[in-house]
Amino acid sequence: MQEAALFRSRTYHAIRSFFHERDYLEVDTPILSPTIIPESTIENFATRFRNPFLPSRDLYLLPSPEIYMKQLLAMGFGSIYQISHCFRNSEQLGRIHNIEFSMLEYYSVGFDEEDSILLTEELFRTLEVPKRLQPPFRRMSVAEATKRYAGFDLEKTQRRSLLKEEALRLGLSVPDEPESWEETFNRIFLTFVEPNLPQEKPLVLYDYPRQIECLAQVNGAYRRRWELYGMGMELANCYYEEADEQKIEAYYRDEYARLIQIREIGGGVIADVDPTLAKTFAGIGKVSGVALGLDRLLMGMMGRSSLEGVILFPLSAILSAGNRNLYHDEEYI
Amino acid sequence: MIKAGQIEKGTALLIKGQPFVVVEREFVNPGKGSAFVRVKLKSPATGQVLQETMKTQDNVEDITVADRDCQYLYNDGEHFHLMLTDTFEQLEVPMSSFPEYELLMQDGEVYRCTFWEAELLDIIIPAKVVYLVAEAEEAVKGDTVQGATKYVTTETGLSVRVPIFIKQGEKIRVNTETREYLERVND
Repeated sequence: MQEAALFRSRTYHAIRSFFHERDYLEVDTPILSPTIIPESTIENFATRFRNPFLPSRDLYLLPSPEIYMKQLLAMGFGSIYQISHCFRNSEQLGRIHNIEFSMLEYYSVGFDEEDSILLTEELFRTLEVPKRLQPPFRRMSVAEATKRYAGFDLEKTQRRSLLKEEALRLGLSVPDEPESWEETFNRIFLTFVEPNLPQEKPLVLYDYPRQIECLAQVNGAYRRRWELYGMGMELANCYYEEADEQKIEAYYRDEYARLIQIREIGGGVIADVDPTLAKTFAGIGKVSGVALGLDRLLMGMMGRSSLEGVILFPLSAILSAGNRNLYHDEEYI
Repeated sequence: MIKAGQIEKGTALLIKGQPFVVVEREFVNPGKGSAFVRVKLKSPATGQVLQETMKTQDNVEDITVADRDCQYLYNDGEHFHLMLTDTFEQLEVPMSSFPEYELLMQDGEVYRCTFWEAELLDIIIPAKVVYLVAEAEEAVKGDTVQGATKYVTTETGLSVRVPIFIKQGEKIRVNTETREYLERVND
């Protein structure tokens, strides 16, 4: 356990020096927030603030510090970074998942997603990463990976019915009820593409289909974002950040509607959303942001095969630590 | 019907009218996408392996299975011959459905078996099993370095790496999943 703590401390130190040398300001923003950026695929944790003199209200544990970091960018803070804890509810605890995890998020002013690849490569060069995580990163577009591992052309399957035909040709069971293009794509991607991505070197998978909604800028059929895969894991996610007010507003509106639709079926918290932030986010200028999962990175650096032994107290281990004599009283909760 | 999110290793599902048993299950959350579960399924009847990715909210048809005891009689190179201990009814199962089980199952031994109606879906091998060592090479004299190992073959034909003090005719306990030696067993 001590080894893991030392390793993390040393790595954080190296990360901070790296950004300090490049004039990035380290910031500290809230992780408990009254609103979130809507992401229909992420479930949130909610808690209640009991204000002694005013009405109580719900607060949410953030799945990423983005909502506050972008406000700082809009205020003209310049390039910033943060190491913080993030929370995602309703994810399976396991080898590479813990519902509370450490994220390194860095926003570079004047950068696009391509510049962020170079910066991330530089960062990896200064860290004690094993051979399989060493730069240069290999690059492959999502269309290229789909062609190679699932054998069809994404450009020619932009219609839902055509994509479904491909899924059926590949032998997947697709339910009869209509589903979105993105859902069918993910079935194919997760079954045939992702498990077959080369693992001997880090891989930047770029140009995601535009149908996968997010706050990355659109370019033709694609979005200007990439994911970094290392040792078979998703390590980082990068956007060339959307800065068009109408588009951000539309994202807030549509994604919130999707979120409600999904929660109505599957349950879970419907967190509050503040659409007026679209105007603020439109003021960030040319920025590229990267979110990097530090626990997974440390796992790869330490040569571990699971987050246990990397995170000092993984929730799965705390929960399975046997029968404890808990003081547990429903009345107090 | 159950939700795909409820699938566990060992869950029996009906896929396109055929029973399959889940042998691997992994939850995946793509970068920006809904929650999926990636499963590997095996058909006990044919040995066919299927790879499926389902949304955790997808409905899947589960089937009710029951465990019954079966005595393992022998194999003829193509089939395992088993007998239900409650009805003495005999059944044949293609060996290809359970690759390498002939190295783990012992003649005359009783195993818990999972059935869907009359169809055998799974044979459950206990996690730790005691085997008789049928063949063991002599340890090389003078080779007393701690941790030195050698290979022995059990009565069932399983090759296991053991400490050099294990002799032919002795019994050893083996982890049947990893096929690793655990300890020597004295009667």
